[in-house]
Amino acid sequence: MRGRPLMHTRYQADQALMNTGTKKTLLVVFLLFLTLVPLAVVPGFRFLAQGDWLRLLSEVAIFAIGALGLNILTGLAGQVSLGHAFFMAVGAYTAAWLGAPAGPFFGLGLPIWIWLPAAGIVAALVGVAVGPTAIRVRGLYLAFVTLGLVFVGEYVFRNWTALTGGSQAGRTFPPLEVKLWREEEPLIDFFTPGSWFGVELSAQAKTYYFLAALAILFVVLAKNLQRTKVGRAFQSIRDRDIAAEIMGVNEFRYKLTAFGISSFYAGVAGALFAVFTSRVIPEQWNLLLSVEFIAIILIGGAGVVSGTILGSVFVVILPRLVENFTNWLAGVAQQETGLLAGFADLFVSTGPGNFGFVNTQAGVAPGLSTAQLNQVLFGLLIIGFLIFEPLGLYGIWLRIRNYWKGWPFTY
Amino acid sequence: MKAKSKWLAIFLVLGLVLAACGDGGGAEETTTTEGGAVDTTEQPTDTTEAMTSTTGGEAMDIATDVGVDLEAGTITVGLLSDLSGVFSALVQVIVTGHEAYWENVNANGGIGGLEVQLNAVDTVYDPATHVQRYEELKDEVVAFGHSTGSPHTVAINEQLQTDGILAIPLTWYSGWTDPAINANLLHHGVPYCIEAMNLIGYIQEQNPDIATVAIASNPGDYGLDSAEGAKIAAAEAGLEVVYDGAGLINAADEATLTEVANGIANSGADVAFVTTSPGAFGSIFGQALAAGYQGIWSGANPSFNPALVGPDSQIAEPLAASSYWSAYTSVWTSDTPGVTEAKELVADRLPQPTSAVFEGFVEASIMHAALQAAYDAGDLTQAGVLNAAKSLDNVDFNGLGPSEAYVGEANDQLQRTSLIFQPDPEGLASGESAGETVLEAEYTSDIAENYVFNEACYALEG
Repeated sequence: MRGRPLMHTRYQADQALMNTGTKKTLLVVFLLFLTLVPLAVVPGFRFLAQGDWLRLLSEVAIFAIGALGLNILTGLAGQVSLGHAFFMAVGAYTAAWLGAPAGPFFGLGLPIWIWLPAAGIVAALVGVAVGPTAIRVRGLYLAFVTLGLVFVGEYVFRNWTALTGGSQAGRTFPPLEVKLWREEEPLIDFFTPGSWFGVELSAQAKTYYFLAALAILFVVLAKNLQRTKVGRAFQSIRDRDIAAEIMGVNEFRYKLTAFGISSFYAGVAGALFAVFTSRVIPEQWNLLLSVEFIAIILIGGAGVVSGTILGSVFVVILPRLVENFTNWLAGVAQQETGLLAGFADLFVSTGPGNFGFVNTQAGVAPGLSTAQLNQVLFGLLIIGFLIFEPLGLYGIWLRIRNYWKGWPFTY
Repeated sequence: MKAKSKWLAIFLVLGLVLAACGDGGGAEETTTTEGGAVDTTEQPTDTTEAMTSTTGGEAMDIATDVGVDLEAGTITVGLLSDLSGVFSALVQVIVTGHEAYWENVNANGGIGGLEVQLNAVDTVYDPATHVQRYEELKDEVVAFGHSTGSPHTVAINEQLQTDGILAIPLTWYSGWTDPAINANLLHHGVPYCIEAMNLIGYIQEQNPDIATVAIASNPGDYGLDSAEGAKIAAAEAGLEVVYDGAGLINAADEATLTEVANGIANSGADVAFVTTSPGAFGSIFGQALAAGYQGIWSGANPSFNPALVGPDSQIAEPLAASSYWSAYTSVWTSDTPGVTEAKELVADRLPQPTSAVFEGFVEASIMHAALQAAYDAGDLTQAGVLNAAKSLDNVDFNGLGPSEAYVGEANDQLQRTSLIFQPDPEGLASGESAGETVLEAEYTSDIAENYVFNEACYALEG
């Protein structure tokens, strides 16, 4: 069957996670790449081994976990939710309550193998608890109900000082370390440099490995979910809920399940995000965070796991690239020769009185700061992808793939 | 055939991708080298090396690791600034102060011939971004000239201690003087808590008849540290707290502003001590005034902004007549050598007179003293600068602000001196002042003087 990868003679082969040899090869290459990145041995990608880039990649992993959850709810089951930030907060504060050492705020000092799953479970329970209200409505109305959650949550978290540390102050979260119980010395910690299997690793590299491994675990779970009875039920509800019900899919039950699973992912991602940041103020869990996740699945491609990963990479890394690009253009503009310099000078403003669309000195020079430009870009990208490429980055990849599949013929 | 050509295609694409990325990576490496970064997979201490340089015409032995390039003759200082978040208007001016200060220092020989460069990044006043930005800069800079925001600075505090890097918090939280958390931090200016003691002490001195005070504030370190100081001061001064709205104000929620304004007006307190943002303060002031409140107003410094008494402000007159404020540094009309020099240096950098620019000068002066001391000790490593900074026993600002010390007991290090002023609408309109009329250039109330400092007035830890 080597030359005909799409011909499947068994149901099992048809449903396999990696149903073609190409996918298997790419997966192996990708995993190898992920493993080698912190060691600075991949040609062309050595810069990724720097601490700040590893932190960005770790953030990608956390965002990917959260986005996978929203993808299950929105992409797979078709239920638009703006409440993702709220469920992340529930997970984060569960982790804080259980995992943070006792101090001025709630904290039991329990190990990660308790607080991390608990963060997901509590968020899932909350999701299931608010689910019955939310799933009575559809589409735009559902978006509004979940939007309400974000605001109710923000109010509660701002005022429940004993748990959250209070508005504009925040609290610290459990350290990222593996302990058996409450002993002094952790088995593994992710905040000091150390040697793993004879390889010297920085704290950032250790954190990256841990979070990347977790993200892979959640990817496998999400990928598997798609090909179960539950996953198919989700998709049938998304495609036409009435038809699904006529076929015997219990809409209420499956929507509730989707809410629960999605919230579980959100809870875990929220806990990891808070722990990774080390200090989070209650205002962090706002609508903007929810929108970032919507951007991830829309840009990546709704309903597709690999699209979600692409989207996370894109949304987390883009701000950094925009900034590097702006600084590079500013450098070009200062040399003042050639066509590019003229363009760069028009685009970048480097000081007061120097006109430009985006500036390298926020507030001092005219134009947008790179942080503001990023927000504009996200907005434009969401609109652009919705209109021109509803399948997102995954859709672009699909077209590239199909082009090469038929190459040298057009189809 | 088909399978073969497909594989060929895949390899071609992969090759192209790698080639493209190779370029990008190469460029990245070049830029980081230019930035003076070291290989981050190693610990900074491992790369410490003593180098001999001839900068400045004389040979010297200076130990360096990160952020100092003896070949190029540069020292890089990082600034974790809020350039486009909620405090951007203020912080941008402060960054301008840093720039003007160092340009002047560099033009006059720098630090032993080494030029100081700033690397200011935008943290958007978000703790997660703050931490990420810290990570980006820590392998490029010798120390942090400021770090905007208290929860934000606490978020990087542990990492600062692990990495052995110095930072100057750009907030006036009383905890920065607390030895339990300030191992890598340098406080400066009177903290919110002591500021409240000075203001209430001063108001009582001027108006001996007052008997009651209403207190309201934002949540978080800023509002609660200030409110705590006001309560301590009220107790010491024998004033009754007739309204306590500490932590109640949420600038984004108009309802809380109305609630606080009514609370103050109904209490009929002689003094209303309100610590919040200028916008929220203006709203509370206006509403309380409309409800018939006629007491004296005060609050921590950033509650007041000269714009509140600007030409188009409807509350300018009553506010100017009934409020007292304090400043952490000197103000535009202060007549000191430091202020005169600073005003010249920023003359064509600011669209209008702004006293906040002196905060940038004060922060930069502290960093200057630390770098100079580290240079004199022959150790310009991150750890060397931290050690030098922590042994500074007197940093004088030439009249830009009260001098600071970083050795000895916390109680002795605590800054207790404020500048007391009243709003100056006329001066602001004519451009003669930045909106302040100085009442006392260096003031310490008895309450502040006698206050025994052991730990932060409001605990931000946990």
